[in-house]
Amino acid sequence: MTLRRGVLLCVLLVAMLSVASAYAAPRQITFWVMPNAPDETHTGWLDKAAQEFEAETGIKVKWEIVGWGDAWSRIAAAIATGEGADVSQVGTTWNPQFAATGGLEKTDIAEFGGASAFMKANLDSTTYKGQNYGVPWFAETRCLFYNKDMFAAAKVNPPQTYDEVITVGKAITKQLGQGKAFAMAGTNAWDLIHNWAIVLWANGGDLVDAAQKKAVFNSEAGVQAMRWYVSLVETGLADKACAEYNQPQADAAFINGNVAMCFMGPWNIANIEQENPGLNYGVVEPPKGSRGRASFSGGSNLVVFKASKNKDAARAWIKFLLRKEKLVDYTQNLSHMLPATLDAFEDPYYSSGVWKTFKTTLSYATAYPPLAVWGDIENAVVSEFKKVLSDYIVGKYKAEDVKIYLDAAAKKVDEALKREK
Amino acid sequence: MEAPVRPVAGAAGRKKARALLWGKPLPYLLIAPALLGTVLVHVIPIIWGVFISFRDLDIYTIANWRGAPFIGLGNYAQALNLADPDGVLFMRSIANVVYYGLVTITLGYVIGLGVALLLNQRFLGRTLVRGLVLLPYIMPDSVAYSVWRFIFQARVGMVNGFLLSLGLIKEPLVWLVGTRTMFAVMVASIWKGWPFACLLLLAGLQSVPRELLECAAIDGANWWQRFRYVTWPHILPVTKTLILLSILWNFNAYNQFRVMLGDDPGVYAEVPSTFVVRQAFDNLRYGLGASMSVVLVLMMTVVAVIYLKTLKPGKSVED
Repeated sequence: MTLRRGVLLCVLLVAMLSVASAYAAPRQITFWVMPNAPDETHTGWLDKAAQEFEAETGIKVKWEIVGWGDAWSRIAAAIATGEGADVSQVGTTWNPQFAATGGLEKTDIAEFGGASAFMKANLDSTTYKGQNYGVPWFAETRCLFYNKDMFAAAKVNPPQTYDEVITVGKAITKQLGQGKAFAMAGTNAWDLIHNWAIVLWANGGDLVDAAQKKAVFNSEAGVQAMRWYVSLVETGLADKACAEYNQPQADAAFINGNVAMCFMGPWNIANIEQENPGLNYGVVEPPKGSRGRASFSGGSNLVVFKASKNKDAARAWIKFLLRKEKLVDYTQNLSHMLPATLDAFEDPYYSSGVWKTFKTTLSYATAYPPLAVWGDIENAVVSEFKKVLSDYIVGKYKAEDVKIYLDAAAKKVDEALKREK
Repeated sequence: MEAPVRPVAGAAGRKKARALLWGKPLPYLLIAPALLGTVLVHVIPIIWGVFISFRDLDIYTIANWRGAPFIGLGNYAQALNLADPDGVLFMRSIANVVYYGLVTITLGYVIGLGVALLLNQRFLGRTLVRGLVLLPYIMPDSVAYSVWRFIFQARVGMVNGFLLSLGLIKEPLVWLVGTRTMFAVMVASIWKGWPFACLLLLAGLQSVPRELLECAAIDGANWWQRFRYVTWPHILPVTKTLILLSILWNFNAYNQFRVMLGDDPGVYAEVPSTFVVRQAFDNLRYGLGASMSVVLVLMMTVVAVIYLKTLKPGKSVED
C-alpha cells in the first residue's frame, strides 16, 4: 500500500533528522535575560559575550531577552514543564519563591567564590531555607533623583526628610505649577510596593515580624507611609494622572524634564543618557523618616534550572558573566546597575559621581524576607494600595480608610504565611 | 436537531463501519489534522484543567505537578467562599462582565445593524466602504487597545483634550483608574466589535429577496413595516447566532482589560479572565485558577444550552 509506505518513509526521515541534529548540535544552553539595557546596546553585548564564551569553551549560548512583565510566567512555565531555558536572570524577590517550587538547582556558593565574595543582602536573596539557589548578579536600589534647574528656579535644596519633600515640593509647584514637583507610580505599577516600603522602614516599621509568621506592616508606620504617598497627589505635588501610571511612565515624566523629583533606580541613568542627555539632574539618598534613612535592596540573580541538561555549561556561563571585567563592563556601560560581587564593586568607578550615592544607599538597604509566599505579600499590599489610589481618584478617599485597607492586606498575608512550609 | 442514528450494532454493522473507514480513507485523512489540532489544543487542555482544579497545585507543587495532592472540591470552596475578599471579588468580576456584555453587545448590535442597513443601499463606492468598515475589527487587539489607552490617558489623552476644549470639564478626568475604567473599556470594545455584527447582518440582509420588499412597498407597507415583517425575519437567524457568539466571547474578554488597565484592572473593571490569570499565573495558584475556570465554563455551558433550547438559532426563515 503506497500510503503506508509513504507514512513509513516520513517517520523514518523525521527520526533520521532528529538523530542527525542531536549529533551535529554543539553543546548549547539557553539563557533568559531581562531588558537590563536598551536593546540597541544590549543585543550587541550579549552577542559578543556569547561568541567569546563559545570560543573559550565550545558552548553555544542562545540568549533571549524576556520582558519583566512576561518573565514571571515564562519562568514558572519552564519550571512546570522542564523546558525553556538552562539559565535565567531572576529578580531578587523571585529567587526564594522559585526555589520553593523545587524547580531550581541548588548552588554551591563556594564554586563561585564563596559567600564573602558577594554583597550580603543580594546573597541572602538567593537563599531559601538556608540553602543557596542562585548567584547574585547585580544590585540596585532607588534614590531620589531631582532636577537641578527646577530646584534652582524654586530656590530650594534637595529634601532631607519626607516632610521636607512636601515643603520643597510646595515651593516648586508654587513656582512652576501644579503636579510639577513629584512623579510617582500608580495603579499600573507592579512595583508599587518598593516605593511604599522604604517610607515604611524609614518610619521604623517592618513588613513581617522576626519569626516571619505575622504581618506587621499595618502599623502606624505603614499607615503613615501610605498616607504620605497619597498626600503627594492630594497636595498637588504630583499630577492626578500619576494614579494611572506605571513606574516607567513616572520615570519618563522626570526624564523628559517635566517634573522635579522621582524615586528612580540606577538603570534610569541609561534612559536619561538615551532620551534626554541634557537633563541637569542630581541624585540624593532617600529622605529620612522618624527612624532615619531606609532603602530597598533589589537586583537580579542568575539561576540554573533543575531540568537543565547542561548544568555544567550553565554554571560555566554564570562564572563567565561574573568575571570582574565582564561584570564591571556590563553594569557600568549597559545596565547601569551596581555589581553584586565585592571585587567588581571595588572598581573606582563606583566611588565617583552619582554612583557614590547609590553605593552609600546600598550600604543600609534592606532586602525583603526570602519567603516562598513573598508574591502573596507583594500582591496583597499592592492590591490594597491600588484601592487607596483608586478611592482617591473616585473622590471617596478618607485618611482613616488606609488602616482598614492595610488591615485587609495584613489578613491575607497572615493566611499566606501560614501556608509557608 | 435530531440526527438520524445509523444502526451499526452487531458484527455486520462493525464490518460496514470498517469498510466505510478503510474503503474511503480520504475524507478521514483530510479531517485528521483539524481533529488532531482540536484534541491537542482544546480537548486535552480542558481535561487537564479539570484535573488540576481538584488538586492543590501551587508554588510548592508545580515542579512536580502530577504529584500535587488531591483536595476534592477544596479549590472550588475557596473560589466561591463569600467570606473571603477574593471570593467576593470573583463574584464581582462575574457581575462586571455581565454588565459589560449587556452594554457592549446591545450597542454593538444596534450600531452594526444601523450601518448594515445603510450599506445595503445601492450607492457609488459601496464595496470600498464595506471593506473600510471592517478596519477596526481586523486591527490586532493589542494595537487597537493600546491606542485607546493613549486616547483615555488623563494628561495627554485625546478624550480629555476634547472635553477640555469644549469646556465640558475644568480639569482632566482620570479614566483609567476607578469608576470610569469600565466606561473607557466599553467604548473601546464597542468600537472594536461592531464591524463584526455589521458584517454578519449585512450578509443576512442580502438574503432578503428584493421582490418581497418591492411587493410590500407596493402594498403600501411603510419603512418600519417593511423592516419589521420582511427584513427582520430574514436577519433573525443571524442575529441569534451573532448574539450567542458575542455572549461567549464577551464573557471571556481579556485583551481589552489587560491592555488598557494592566493586569490588575481594579474592582470596577475586574473581569473573570483577568482575575483567573492573576490567581493562576501571578500568584502561582494553578489549582484555584483552574477551578475558577471550570466554574466559568459550566456557567457558559448553561447559558448556551438555555439559549439554544429557547431560541433555536440556526433555523432559517424557510424552516
